[in-house]
Amino acid sequence: MNFQRTASRILSVNGVPIAIALVIVVIIFQIMSPVFLTPGSVRDYINNAIPILLLTVGVAIVIVAGGIDLSVGTVAGLSAGTTMWTLVNGAPTLVAVLTGVGTGLVFGLFNGLMITRFGINDFIVTLATLNIAGGLLIVLTEQVPLQGVTTPGFSDIVYGNVFGIPSAFWIAAIIFVLMQFFLVKTVFGRRIFAIGIAPSAANVAGVNVERVRLGTFVLSGVLAGAAGVLLASRLGSVQAFLGSGYEFIAIAGAVLGGVSLAGGRGSVWAAVAGGLMLATLQQGLRLNGVDPVYFSIVTGLCIVAGVVFDRRIQQLALSGIRKRRRTGSAPPPPDTSQEAHLLRTGKQD
Amino acid sequence: MSTTAATAPKKNSLVDRVGARLLVDPTLGVLALLILICLVSAFTLPVFLEPSNLYNLLNTSLVVMILAMGMTVVLISGGIDLSIGTTMALCAGVAATSMKFGLPLFAALIAALATGALVGIGNGLLITRLGLPDFIATLAMLGFASGILYIWTKGVPIIGYMVPEFYVIGGLTPLLASLTLPMIIALLVALVLGGVLGSTRLGTYFFAVGSSKTGAMQSGIRVDRIRTQAYIVSGLSAAVAGIIMAGRNTNVPADLGNGYEIQAIAAAVIGGAALSGGRGRILGAILGAITLAATVNLINLVGVPSSYQKIVIGAILILAVLANRISAIVSGIVRQRRALVLEGIPA
Repeated sequence: MNFQRTASRILSVNGVPIAIALVIVVIIFQIMSPVFLTPGSVRDYINNAIPILLLTVGVAIVIVAGGIDLSVGTVAGLSAGTTMWTLVNGAPTLVAVLTGVGTGLVFGLFNGLMITRFGINDFIVTLATLNIAGGLLIVLTEQVPLQGVTTPGFSDIVYGNVFGIPSAFWIAAIIFVLMQFFLVKTVFGRRIFAIGIAPSAANVAGVNVERVRLGTFVLSGVLAGAAGVLLASRLGSVQAFLGSGYEFIAIAGAVLGGVSLAGGRGSVWAAVAGGLMLATLQQGLRLNGVDPVYFSIVTGLCIVAGVVFDRRIQQLALSGIRKRRRTGSAPPPPDTSQEAHLLRTGKQD
Repeated sequence: MSTTAATAPKKNSLVDRVGARLLVDPTLGVLALLILICLVSAFTLPVFLEPSNLYNLLNTSLVVMILAMGMTVVLISGGIDLSIGTTMALCAGVAATSMKFGLPLFAALIAALATGALVGIGNGLLITRLGLPDFIATLAMLGFASGILYIWTKGVPIIGYMVPEFYVIGGLTPLLASLTLPMIIALLVALVLGGVLGSTRLGTYFFAVGSSKTGAMQSGIRVDRIRTQAYIVSGLSAAVAGIIMAGRNTNVPADLGNGYEIQAIAAAVIGGAALSGGRGRILGAILGAITLAATVNLINLVGVPSSYQKIVIGAILILAVLANRISAIVSGIVRQRRALVLEGIPA
């Protein structure tokens, strides 16, 4: 009994279940193919995953605030494109990096303004900008071939070495720490959770809901821009369809990590763990000779699994509270049907 | 009171009233936009109004039109179906493969329709049983369906299924003079869905669920079942569109349906379907699909490279939603004013 309560409490901490699952999956893959955990292999596949991890964190922040951003994938692709484009035109590395991040910023700002100023649904606006950014990248790649750049310092963004660890790891780690600090320790960060849990309550409490929502989309855009720069630096060339489909992996990673699609629950670590889980699954499947096309189905399954697990955890927490309230009597099984949810909360989803 | 009500409309000039009507009724707004496009192009681009061009335009808009009608039903019931394009490709693949296995034509068509309905049921179950948000559930379904199609085709388009009947289904061989079968199918789909929405209990339920889930539930409607049925309708419409696509394209590549979901959503939204649910029209979806096709056709004729198409469609989607919101606000104001006039308070 006591053990069960402790276990459920630990499991309901955001990101813990996925971290445990990640360790188990790594052990299974290590048993299945012994080359899985060699340093070179781990470094490569995490290096490949870092841009998508950045997108996952960006999407996670938007989801915590109760929104969704479908445009991150193609915006990252376009940012990679603009970064390469400035380099091809002879700009120094710093200018290129700023251009890439700026591209993401512009798209994030556009998404946010459309959603907050004009009141359009977030998934429609970001679906439209998904297409616009993807189309712009196609047009950009038709103008000049985005490759063959030898600007000094540019490939060092990813392949450079600091204290024996690739610089992309450092960049990602710094961004993750900053984001987590921002989410948990700043007023703005706490407001993101507040508007995700109950926008009207946050509004009554004096939070400028629209401004906070705008902020989350800008953040997600900037992170997509940074992911684009890292992509360009790693690949050295940019193709027309770079980034399309990444939004799917990013959302799946965030949800799998325990970021609740209902808003208000999640952390950077949870998102990173979820993203790493997907990257690990991809690598493990590849090492075991599974056709990469299966990964899209795995990703879809992960979204479903993440949502189901999130509901279980919430039920567990709920029943725990009920148990403590009416000591002695066994709690009734929680009615999870939509009707019951509607009757209980009167909330439409 | 009666005098105020009688005199109040006279104060508004005809232009005012027509303008208000256009803004209130999105379908009329789209019609006005279409006529405007035609008028502008009549002076600047005579090629656009040539019968052969208009005929091609109508023919190319049919697939998106059928998808948009299914999407409209889902939007009315308060959902959204991002998987509709991929479902279309999957159903096209099922039809093509069944033909290759030597099944008779009608069996292949039934297999495709069943696949569409199954995907719809899957979407509905993900949403109502697991409680996933609509766009996440259908996004996951998009991943599943495209994954299945890639595994199945191994990236090589399905070919070698074209029998003469398929050329007719795809509209490559016309039925009578210039009348093609897809046109008749689109008309049938429109009549059926329009009939369901307009004059059956199910149609009323779709609107009720989309307007207010809580309200619908409290008046005894099985909300979950109605929502699932809306997704079955969109799955079936995707199957019909997929069968036509299989005939028209003469091969089925795995990425056949890419980008169709956004076109279907854009066409439905241009036609006045509200993303918040409870508003939408089949006629609007038809006009929306034609408007979308006309716009793409125009920019092609002007000489804009086709690579800009994605950007244009994205921009059109945003503009359509914006126009829709303005129309909703204006119709709210007009309704309020009318209510005030009826109560005898000068607006």
